[in-house]
Amino acid sequence: MIVISSVSKRYGSKEAVHDISLRVQPGEVLGLLGPNGAGKTTLLNMLTGFMAPTQGSISLDGHDLTLEPRQAKQLLGYLPEQAPLYDEMTVRDFLRFVCALRLVVKADAEAHIDEILQLTHTKEVEGRRIGNLSKGWRQRVGLAQALCGDPPILVLDEPTSGLDPRQTVEFRELVRSLSHGRTVIFSSHVLSEVQEVCTRAVILHRGRVVFDEKLQDIGKSSTYRLSARVLGSEKQLMSGVRSLPSVISAVRVPCDDKGQIALNLTCKAGGTAEQELFTLLTALEMPLMRLEAAESTLEEVFLRCTQS
Amino acid sequence: MKAVYLRELQSYFYTAGAYVYMGVFLLLGSIFCAVNNVAARSGDVLSLLWMMGYLWMLLTPILTMRSFAGDRRQHTDQLLYTSPAPLTGIVLGKYLAACTVLMITVLLSLVYVLIIALWGRVYPGELLAGYTGFILQGCAFIAIDLYLSVRARSTMTAAVTAFGVNLGLWLIDVLNAAVTMAPLNAVLEFISPYQRCTPFRLGQMSYASVAYFAAVIFAMLFLCVRHLDMRRWRSV
Repeated sequence: MIVISSVSKRYGSKEAVHDISLRVQPGEVLGLLGPNGAGKTTLLNMLTGFMAPTQGSISLDGHDLTLEPRQAKQLLGYLPEQAPLYDEMTVRDFLRFVCALRLVVKADAEAHIDEILQLTHTKEVEGRRIGNLSKGWRQRVGLAQALCGDPPILVLDEPTSGLDPRQTVEFRELVRSLSHGRTVIFSSHVLSEVQEVCTRAVILHRGRVVFDEKLQDIGKSSTYRLSARVLGSEKQLMSGVRSLPSVISAVRVPCDDKGQIALNLTCKAGGTAEQELFTLLTALEMPLMRLEAAESTLEEVFLRCTQS
Repeated sequence: MKAVYLRELQSYFYTAGAYVYMGVFLLLGSIFCAVNNVAARSGDVLSLLWMMGYLWMLLTPILTMRSFAGDRRQHTDQLLYTSPAPLTGIVLGKYLAACTVLMITVLLSLVYVLIIALWGRVYPGELLAGYTGFILQGCAFIAIDLYLSVRARSTMTAAVTAFGVNLGLWLIDVLNAAVTMAPLNAVLEFISPYQRCTPFRLGQMSYASVAYFAAVIFAMLFLCVRHLDMRRWRSV
């Protein structure tokens, strides 16, 4: 399981990631969405140990990335936005190198590489120099290197960017087939892609999590969403709202109006969330400024969550 | 470490790096040998090694410029630093690969010794001391230039900075010759990698000089590891 606890990353005065906490269960395929500069790549860089958080901690299957980097990194396969490839090497030599780097037993390495080549459909280019491969092939080889050592966690940062439509579809299929039995974190700009491949979506905006829900729950009749704006203190309000029986989750979202707190609530259908909310706010003496039923599609969620 | 070492070594020979390095070394080394030994009818191997020691200043940046700066340019640093391999292993792997190319070049330079031995006399003890200084000097330059490659964002910056620093180290001797202030001369002589080779040039094995070069190599490799680790934590 991946546990991200109160992670923040600062670049000078700019906070790229602010106090993010997430838990990703084994077998989950998490789609990380967000506009440019939302903090997706920074979060993934911290998750893979490439960068250390300014605050907070990350652990993979109980191994803290800072305290036990070797054990934690052994569980990870990472395909960054630009596939990390050595142009002068052949595909097979490159995979041999990555296997050695990921401590794959030498006797098993060749069979393991054959398996990866089959899985990623790169067998036909195994003897070619990486520098001579097209973008689509390079991306496949990038994915192949992430699979070296058979890591239970795969982190893919915008893996389909720059691919043509056919390559994108093929690559998506590939990721879907690889997700069985693995935890996959998949960052993308493309909502349909996340909807197709992932089981859960997390939307980042200005370094904060503004949406976190299982994709099957979006638009389903078992839950519905409310968007509320309240005047008052955040701490009191959030703890109160989260304790309401009909509220499944409450996420604070950015709000332009000073002093107001904007909330997205996921509520149980057939419950009495509105009534509970009114009662709570009356008890807390916090005026409700706006309350509306929210969207049901990922696109609507994304647009609303990322509006300035 | 072994994986990084083998890949780096392979990379030197898959690209032009090692061939340019060895080719220019052999070309200039041959000219030195022709002028210093063949034309002058001299069997002085130590002065040839001393002259060839200056080639490290010129050639080491070719070897080290791609080591870390190249990884940064082609984003393969993400592959290395997200792998279970420790930073120390990565730095040592790259350093030893560059040193291996240097050692192959040093082995090729034995051709000159052979030529001199055919017509003159070569003393094994002297030769051992001379080569010890020659190799240590080369390895120290690799460590210094590797650190500059760690700091650089592009291979070109790494090469130019390394060449500038190497030239600066040579200028210490020029400055030392121009200045006549005893304390300053003492300091300059202490830090000059060329002055440190004087005992080897005279055919003497100097443990102080060996310790000096070992300390420079250790300090530079340590700085490489620290800088890479610091970069992970950097917030600007």
